[in-house]
Amino acid sequence: MGRTYPPTAPYQVSQAKITEFAVAIGDGDNPAYQGPGAIAPPTFAAVLSAAAWNAIFTDPDLDLALSRTVHVDQRFEFIRPLRPGDDVRAQLTIDNVRARGSMALITFSVKLTTTDGEDVAVATSTLMHQEAK
Amino acid sequence: MAQEALPWAGQPESLAGKALPGREVVFTRDQLVRYAGASLDFNPIHWSDTAAEELGLPGVIAHGMLTMGAALRVVTDWIGDPSRVTSYSVRFLKPVVVDPVKGAEVRFGAEVREVRGTTATISLTAEADGARVLSQASVEVRLD
Repeated sequence: MGRTYPPTAPYQVSQAKITEFAVAIGDGDNPAYQGPGAIAPPTFAAVLSAAAWNAIFTDPDLDLALSRTVHVDQRFEFIRPLRPGDDVRAQLTIDNVRARGSMALITFSVKLTTTDGEDVAVATSTLMHQEAK
Repeated sequence: MAQEALPWAGQPESLAGKALPGREVVFTRDQLVRYAGASLDFNPIHWSDTAAEELGLPGVIAHGMLTMGAALRVVTDWIGDPSRVTSYSVRFLKPVVVDPVKGAEVRFGAEVREVRGTTATISLTAEADGARVLSQASVEVRLD
């Protein structure tokens, strides 16, 4: 608990990835996500968080597997929208772990920051993890 | 984007209680695969019945984040500029099970719960198979 992992390598947001994501959530025609001045859909922050999730799933002290988790809750704080060309690092901190028999509820937050030091968003997730049988 | 008339036309307080136009979508298995690739969330419970059943689920379920992303469109379609969204939180109450043939119908709704200063708080609802799948779904947007 309280463990903070090193930030991920910078991820450069591209128009192509924004378009791919907007199409995947069923909003590919939204003019806000294309053309000059395009921004990423707000929940695109999850793309960047995903890289940081690897930290907990590869931590030998935790013995967690992504395939044994279900998403319980999610919160985003958006400081400013992501745009093509942004170079972003994601840093994960474990906020809370609660055990319930063979289940564990793990709450962690991922802070997204540009390589220039600008805070972009914070994504806080709770996952329920089930031990292997 | 061209500057358009804002939907609250200078009287944000009057928005409290307003219902936003809802939408209905059908999630299909191929959309889950597409979302997995787009979001980089490759948890196999979203594409493998075997993996889903090992967790006690009836079959492949939609990514909670797909439901969350699709639900937000009710708000962004209304407000126009998605950069007005300042926070968004949900609890995933019930998994959305996606049938391999029929997919899963999900119905989204939203209502302005409160306006404080230049921030509106919007409550979202999502239902699939007659049951609520999100709870405490709340979006804050800037109105200024």
